[in-house]
Amino acid sequence: MVAFLPEAVVAQRVKAGNAIDRTRPPKPGPAPVIEIGDPVIYTLQNGIKVLVVENHKAPKITATYFIDRGPVLEGEKAGVTALMGSMLSEGTTKHSKDEFYAAADQISSEISFSETGGSAVAISRFFDQSFALLAEGLQQPSFLEAAFAKLKSQMITGLKSNEKNVKVVADLVQQAILYGKNTAMGEFPTAQSLGGLNLNDVNEMYRQGITPSRGYLTFVGDITPEKAKELAEKYFAEWKGVSITYPVIPPVDNPSATEIDLVDMPNAVQSEIAVANLISLKPGNPDYFPLLIANNILGGGAEARLFKNLREKHGFTYGAYSEIGAGRNQTSFKARAGVRNEKTDSAVTEILREIQLMRTEKISDEELKNAKALYNGNFALGTENPGTIARYTTDILINNLSKDYYCTYLQKVNAVTADDVLRVSGKYFNYNNMRIIVTGRAEDVLSGLRKLGYAVKQFDRFADPLPGSASVVKE
Amino acid sequence: MNVKFFIGGSMAVFLLGFMGKAIAQKIEFNEYDLDNGLHVILHRDNSAPVVAVSVMYHVGSKNEDPARTGFAHFFEHLLFEGSDNIRRGEFMKLVSANGGQNNANTTFDRTYYYEVFPSNQLELGLWLESERMLHPVINETGVSIQREVVKEEKRQRVDNQPYARIINNVFSGVFAGTPYRWQPIGSMDHLNQAKLDEFTGFFKKFYVPNNAVLSISGDIDIEKTIALVKAYFGEIPKGATVSQQVVNVTPITNTIIDTAYDANIQLPAIVGAYQTPGMTSKDARALELLAGVLSNGASSRLNKKMIDEKKEALKVEALSLSLESAGAFIFYAIPNGYISLNTLLEDISSEIKELQEHLISEKDFEKLMNQAENKYVAANARNNDVAENLASAYTFFNRQTNHVNTALEEIRAMTREDIRNAARKYLNDHQRLVLYYLPGR
Repeated sequence: MVAFLPEAVVAQRVKAGNAIDRTRPPKPGPAPVIEIGDPVIYTLQNGIKVLVVENHKAPKITATYFIDRGPVLEGEKAGVTALMGSMLSEGTTKHSKDEFYAAADQISSEISFSETGGSAVAISRFFDQSFALLAEGLQQPSFLEAAFAKLKSQMITGLKSNEKNVKVVADLVQQAILYGKNTAMGEFPTAQSLGGLNLNDVNEMYRQGITPSRGYLTFVGDITPEKAKELAEKYFAEWKGVSITYPVIPPVDNPSATEIDLVDMPNAVQSEIAVANLISLKPGNPDYFPLLIANNILGGGAEARLFKNLREKHGFTYGAYSEIGAGRNQTSFKARAGVRNEKTDSAVTEILREIQLMRTEKISDEELKNAKALYNGNFALGTENPGTIARYTTDILINNLSKDYYCTYLQKVNAVTADDVLRVSGKYFNYNNMRIIVTGRAEDVLSGLRKLGYAVKQFDRFADPLPGSASVVKE
Repeated sequence: MNVKFFIGGSMAVFLLGFMGKAIAQKIEFNEYDLDNGLHVILHRDNSAPVVAVSVMYHVGSKNEDPARTGFAHFFEHLLFEGSDNIRRGEFMKLVSANGGQNNANTTFDRTYYYEVFPSNQLELGLWLESERMLHPVINETGVSIQREVVKEEKRQRVDNQPYARIINNVFSGVFAGTPYRWQPIGSMDHLNQAKLDEFTGFFKKFYVPNNAVLSISGDIDIEKTIALVKAYFGEIPKGATVSQQVVNVTPITNTIIDTAYDANIQLPAIVGAYQTPGMTSKDARALELLAGVLSNGASSRLNKKMIDEKKEALKVEALSLSLESAGAFIFYAIPNGYISLNTLLEDISSEIKELQEHLISEKDFEKLMNQAENKYVAANARNNDVAENLASAYTFFNRQTNHVNTALEEIRAMTREDIRNAARKYLNDHQRLVLYYLPGR
């Protein structure tokens, strides 16, 4: 990796002493050369792909095991996958939870588990022990009835504790309304679904989901590829489990006409607004790069149009952003903001205005140039974290991208034109067939929202339609 | 190596022989003062083409007029509004349009502004921060827009946020009569009442080079950076000497019992808080270790007993908050199911008594030392972390920037007796505030 400030430029400005020109931003030096190293990759006999990124800057190693399982439809057992993930932290057949975490805490190793795997972080001299515990937790969980009962009751209490948390409820209902409550993407656990679970459900979910199949074991940090391979062979090569196929989820339609979906939270002092539609954008689709730029200009950060408009011009909100994603299954486009109750309808109007502008008018050359510069810069900043290379490589492997996908990433960003941005904005940002999901205090915001002229559907915090909340369309 | 030197007006710029690759975890740095009192700290790390440019102003909410709270945090917003040479709305755009990231944050004791850029944009970072220090635009337009933004920030982070007001209640009780009794977000009424000249007055008083640290970390050439820093910051006039607030905490001698309500919660919480010394005190280290014994990791005493064994708590935590001139040792627990808050309180209290009566085991002590080492290794992962840690060490540890390198040694010098003695000295029932934090209203 090479980066330098050219001597000529610096010397010139400094020679002038106090005569530096303050009226304009200084010119940058030549762009630093960014070289992305390739991680060492190999495959264990049971199919687990092992990635090693060697970086000795700090005496610390992180190991991550990730199973690329995809979304799981749980149905009436909603919550069982997450509960299984938590059960992995409840001890193994060799060590009780007490013993397991006494050992991990003693060496100050952070070991965590989830429904898609787990990770171990430790200072170098303790890493072997830490890694052994990670493997043990994943492969030999004890799944005891007492632990199950405890976690179940904690999860139910946890749901209760978030009942009035506007942000948490908004995140859940937005997914549920966008994808449908009975889909893998839209469903969420309730006290009832959790209450009906038993230990067998957890065992079965473990059998189906925690396995070498589609598994990626990544080492990042103060470790050589040889040492990592030795540890991977020792602790993961003999492991067996079911074979997983990545699920294909049937796509869901966007509404035929734009509608307002209002979720009532009587305690809210701010409305969480999401203006959203579903999109189909597979990884590697060339539309991805212009869409990245389009999203960045619309709502990528503090310099983007939504933020400038809703926060800096109107002071409606602390922040307004938009997001898009590529995925093997459907993903969503969302423009969102938390705004004070009385400005809810005004904020919706402004968000819609900005979306429509993206769809109908070409962005300026300056906006395009600035957005590209941001991605170029962020790409350089990403090299600060050795984990970035591991992330890029995993992305290439999982999504079957070309090997040079990230080496040519900036070329692809820099090739985007204003016409490309206009085209993809029209294609992926809906206007006449999207959802305006508002989670807030209906008493304060309903009348304003009705004036916007869209059908208004009301929901409770479980994303169920409210009885008697007929759609109202203003003439 | 840790060279400390000064550049005077007539003195030549020193050429520093920078050492080769830093030994593991030791942070090398150069530091000096400009004539105007600006303290400069430089750390070179060429492992990635990245540079963090930051300014830490030694002003936080504790420096505010009790009738004008929220000013320091308000300035965190206001100082993005532009300067004589940067039009309104251009500051953040200049950062992102040049591939950088930036932000700022405010605590009780200081405000921290930073940009992280690809390393060929170092000079841009210096220009932006020097413009902000030299001649920011503070006018009615910016003030009135940022007032609304800050109100939204408060709604989002406090008013709409479950359990967010615990800290207000705790600090107003534990730090009664001191400038730590209000939060950095401050009072919206005060911000509404404040006139423009009050804001400009606050700026002139606190945002002066002699009350700031310019801390730069990343892929830089030290000698060239020194020249650039002088070119951009040298002309900024020195301000009047800033005298820091004296914080005299009135000791709690009888337990304070308080109740508060939060409309955003369903489950109550029990909270306890004790008064402790400021961050440079040796006892502050002991109290951090005590918090670790109680709740760092699943095998810690409170987690193990209350969550796993008795299954009576959904969450329990003890933490030691060390501010510049005082601190607070705080615990809280949220019940699992229908357990009473008093049961949780009794269980936490008995664990604290245990720590007053008995030394922790050698093995537990070793665990704490490993945890401290881990924290230390993780603390300097990115250039912006390094820049902030260097600036904090200088600002708060009696100008001992090298505290970033000795912090771990300080902890390793602690004994089991130190830990027990701190529990005996600070964590007695009669010295605490107990808050029943309940759903409703």
